[in-house]
Amino acid sequence: MSDSVPDSVPDSVPDSLPDSMSDAVTDSPFPPGARISLAHGNGGRLMRELIDGLFARILGTGIDTRVDAAAIPSDPAGGEWMITTDGFTVEPLEFPGGDIGSLAVHGTVNDLAVSGARPRWLSLNVFVEEGLEIALLERVIRSIARASAEAGVGILAGDTKVVRRGQGGGIYLATTGIGTRVAPMPLGLDRIKLGDQVLVSGSVGDHGAAVMLAREQFGISGELRSDAACVLPVTDILVGQSGLRFMRDPTRGGLATVAHDIASVTGAGVRLFEESIPVRAPVAGVCEILGYDPLYLACEGRVVAVLDPDSAQPALAALHAAGFSDARIVGVVEALAGRVVLQTPLGGERILPELEDDPLPRIC
Amino acid sequence: MPGQAQDWLTRIRELPLAAPLRIMNVCGGHERSISMAGLRTLLPPEIRLIPGPGCPVCVCPEEDIHQAIDWAMHQDVIVASFGDMLRVPANVARGEVRSLAEARAAGASVHAIASPQDALRIARENPQRKLVFHAVGFETTMAPIAAMIVEGLPPNLLLLNSGRLTWPAVAMLLESPDAGEEAGLDALIAPGHVATVMGPAEWDFVPTRHGIPTAIAGFTAESLLAAIHSVLEQSRTGQAALENCYGAAVRAGGNPLARRLLDTAFSVVDAPWRGIGTIARSGYALKDEFAAHDARLHLPATAGGRKAGEMPAGCDCARVVLGRISPTGCRLYGSACRPASPVGPCMVSDEGACRIWWASGVRAPSAG
Repeated sequence: MSDSVPDSVPDSVPDSLPDSMSDAVTDSPFPPGARISLAHGNGGRLMRELIDGLFARILGTGIDTRVDAAAIPSDPAGGEWMITTDGFTVEPLEFPGGDIGSLAVHGTVNDLAVSGARPRWLSLNVFVEEGLEIALLERVIRSIARASAEAGVGILAGDTKVVRRGQGGGIYLATTGIGTRVAPMPLGLDRIKLGDQVLVSGSVGDHGAAVMLAREQFGISGELRSDAACVLPVTDILVGQSGLRFMRDPTRGGLATVAHDIASVTGAGVRLFEESIPVRAPVAGVCEILGYDPLYLACEGRVVAVLDPDSAQPALAALHAAGFSDARIVGVVEALAGRVVLQTPLGGERILPELEDDPLPRIC
Repeated sequence: MPGQAQDWLTRIRELPLAAPLRIMNVCGGHERSISMAGLRTLLPPEIRLIPGPGCPVCVCPEEDIHQAIDWAMHQDVIVASFGDMLRVPANVARGEVRSLAEARAAGASVHAIASPQDALRIARENPQRKLVFHAVGFETTMAPIAAMIVEGLPPNLLLLNSGRLTWPAVAMLLESPDAGEEAGLDALIAPGHVATVMGPAEWDFVPTRHGIPTAIAGFTAESLLAAIHSVLEQSRTGQAALENCYGAAVRAGGNPLARRLLDTAFSVVDAPWRGIGTIARSGYALKDEFAAHDARLHLPATAGGRKAGEMPAGCDCARVVLGRISPTGCRLYGSACRPASPVGPCMVSDEGACRIWWASGVRAPSAG
């Protein structure tokens, strides 16, 4: 698996990191070129060295690595607890705009954020394949530290397993996120009504296109970067809108799949306006060449929101004012017999089918 | 621009239509643009847009696919082909490796590429191994492959060549329709990219010899609607001619350099089309001077005995390719045959009519 990882990945630790984190870059107790062996998962000395010398050192303060269970500190804000869990496999492990570590933190944090919660804590399970370069694992763990610091979440519990060579994709991650509800109103697909507007917070398809290009030997170079990011700045704005009904991060299956969820649960349907859907030119170009539809490609830093007709424009204006200039109202909930219809710029229509054929196995 | 496309649409709607008109396109790119823009939902019902032979992957002979799979599995070679070729199923007994994608899953070295240059790069990166590039495509794809051949290939790069020409399939439709079936088209939208490379004159025979209105179109809704308007107008006035609606991209004589490269690298030969049979002067064959790179001469022919006409049981891809039936006219469409579990090549390739219709939401009437 490691041969699919680019040879030289830029080391992009920003200067603004806390000292303990940037020290970690230079203070590695592992010799250059060191690799994971099965003994790193056997519970003995090597495993202890890996946990203390890598995970605890980088993920830093607050983790007691010698206890079997951690207490969850009570939340001063005091809202209802919310929990989510997720697993992450991606090839390649590092891609333009992110890596499996930041992807895992963002993915978990974002699931809480779009549910109207403030993420507080994460647990982290790491499945490492025998033979993986420890330096790569370090980069991924540093990325987890950085992403969780940015999102304001702490890592409260963790576990490591080593799987035999050939039985894993380098690194798999499993995370559980805990947060407290901050949305003043309940959110959910069941709250959506006919006439509600569908909004996206930015361009679609960037993550899927970037990972696809990084993985395959397509020889197409483009300015593609994953949009992987924490969506709290977006959801913080949207939960302030009184007419907010529902939010979701359009990961696997993209915008079209969220539209399908809306259509099938409401039994109504969604009309999307092709002209309004933001797709960055490099993404559209790659999709054109490779025959993919960006509406089905994963985003990892976007929010699809459904708002009542009176709240949609104010919400859009608030997002634009906060710098999310690509946010658009892209559709409307209509009585369409449970279907998702794309209206083309000419006024033609085509039905967006439910995603069946996975165009991109293992992108998130 | 939608504005100009809208104008063409208005002009088409204003034309008096005497009778239903079947307009065939012979390019997967055209069919994709038509479906994705929802043009069928915008045009008067008398106008039927029919996808014709426009998918090189769909007509790639079964024996060539077998050969590529077999070499990938049993010779120490790397096989590279365009992404959609990897999933095209061959006819094999249950449990056997039926596609290059399955060969890859079984451990063979198989690469999906997007450009012929990728094959060159992979061959150079692996000088100790033979790389078999399964070249599948029409004129527009074969021209850059010809350039690569003429420029000089690395010694370890071998070609399994399944390249085809576009116009001979249309000539076959018009000149030797199957017994009892007519050609199935009243007008033709000729492929813009092919005309850019080969020149528009190749398509003259359609209006002059057969009296069929013809227009060359590009890939925007605007260009396609202009071409549809052109053939409607030709049909209405009874004046069939070849009109170019792809603007300055198409020049008399096409692209002389590309044509010279094609002539240098390839001879034009009679060639089999999957499920259809042999079409006269419709295939590209590597010229003798490049025999050192002909995979068939350097690797054992292990997929012999397969018939080019072989299609999976019940699969109507060949009739879809010829425009005899629409994708929804195939019994397997949407039931046994879907993109995730394709039976025939038309449901695999991005140029295949079944795949395009399925992706644009068309479902078999019975399936709802």
